[in-house]
Amino acid sequence: MDNLAEKQFAVRKASPPGCTEVGMVPSVENNLDPTSDEALLVKVSNSKSKEAFDQLFDRFANKVFAHGMKIMRNEQMAKDLVQEAMLTVWQKAPLYNMDKGNVQSWIFTITRNRCFDMLRKQKRQSAVLSADDIWPAGFEDAEALSEAERGSVEVQISQIEKLVRQLPAAQQAVVEQIHILNRTHEEAAQFLEIPLGTLKSRLRLAMGKLRQSLGTES
Amino acid sequence: MISEANYHPSTEMLKKFTAGSLLSGLNVAISAHIELCETCRHKTSKIEAKAAIDWLQTNDDQKQNDFSGLALDIVNQPQIEKPREKEAILDQIHMLDHSVSLPKVLAKAASQGLVWKQLGGGINQALMHLDDETQCEFIYMKPGSQTPMHKHQGSETTLVLDGSFNDELGHYQRADFIYRTEKDMHQPRSEEGCLCFSVLDSPLTFTKGLARLLNPFFKYQFRRSAAGRGI
Ligand SMILES: [Zn+2]
Repeated sequence: MDNLAEKQFAVRKASPPGCTEVGMVPSVENNLDPTSDEALLVKVSNSKSKEAFDQLFDRFANKVFAHGMKIMRNEQMAKDLVQEAMLTVWQKAPLYNMDKGNVQSWIFTITRNRCFDMLRKQKRQSAVLSADDIWPAGFEDAEALSEAERGSVEVQISQIEKLVRQLPAAQQAVVEQIHILNRTHEEAAQFLEIPLGTLKSRLRLAMGKLRQSLGTES
Repeated sequence: MISEANYHPSTEMLKKFTAGSLLSGLNVAISAHIELCETCRHKTSKIEAKAAIDWLQTNDDQKQNDFSGLALDIVNQPQIEKPREKEAILDQIHMLDHSVSLPKVLAKAASQGLVWKQLGGGINQALMHLDDETQCEFIYMKPGSQTPMHKHQGSETTLVLDGSFNDELGHYQRADFIYRTEKDMHQPRSEEGCLCFSVLDSPLTFTKGLARLLNPFFKYQFRRSAAGRGI
């Protein structure tokens, strides 16, 4: 996790002490500033909010255009870049993982990647590798969740509870939503106001730690 | 297996990588190094965050465009709920007695098929076409092999994937990233054998006319002519 994300996370994590019991995990994300890029993207991701996307579009479209002009020096291509990049933002919103970086960095990398692919296409260069192969999607979740969920865990419940309480609050909240309250990933992401990608990544981290502590790691 | 690298791309290079302004062959070498090197991965994500801030703070004189209607078109497209399926790709290169696992980007690049060619002196080469500006190749040095002393036409970037090699300036192992400009002169040798990915940024001088005779992998005369020039 880079420093920037750590800082933002620390701000959000300000929860009262003593409520770390399973079942009383504070919802760490609820104090996200509703006008922030993060909050808007969460709405785009979790409820396909067109209004939220519209606001993000207004904030970023002309910046994307400026980047296109700087690199490609062609107005039509810069406009095409706006379309390509902002479409990717919309399409990939559910994969965005806020634990790995902020929305600005994410949209920056999307803009760079789409621009790179457009340039290469224009030069008719080999298409073996796309920008997404070269700059691996650090902000997104590529691995399937099933890996982390596999494997049977046969340990005393009390021991598991103890271990769950040792997880960072954000991961506890996710484990609680999924494994105690039996919510679906989508419901849990809605409730915690985090992107689905973030939820899955936290769940994977938490389950990984639990399995490691329990010695059931394959 | 992740081994800590001792030789890394310069900060300047990582910045250009982040901005997308390097030749693609070099991008691929850096991408592969970053997958193997935690330090550079961390550094790159910091540079990315900084670049994003700079990008958003730049006050450009561009006119503010009216993209009305575009956002509406976009939100009528479906969203992606699941990451794309991993494609079946070659992720290992089988050497004589063992297999070497490749960084993802190289695995993808190699999946177009590798044709190995013997260059003499125990050196084998598999060329890949990744862009029109660089020559990208896997180089396999057999144990005990040595390349002729050579000087580069342009710059040469080498990423060690397996085994190790030495030259006058150091000893290089898996994940090490070595960048040589045309001023540098070296003579790599490998005791235990070595698999590398390498990028030359001026492929034309290597394949055209007289320069071909100077290609270090083919001809040994170069050693004498270079020595004659007192380099
Ligand atoms: Zn490094």
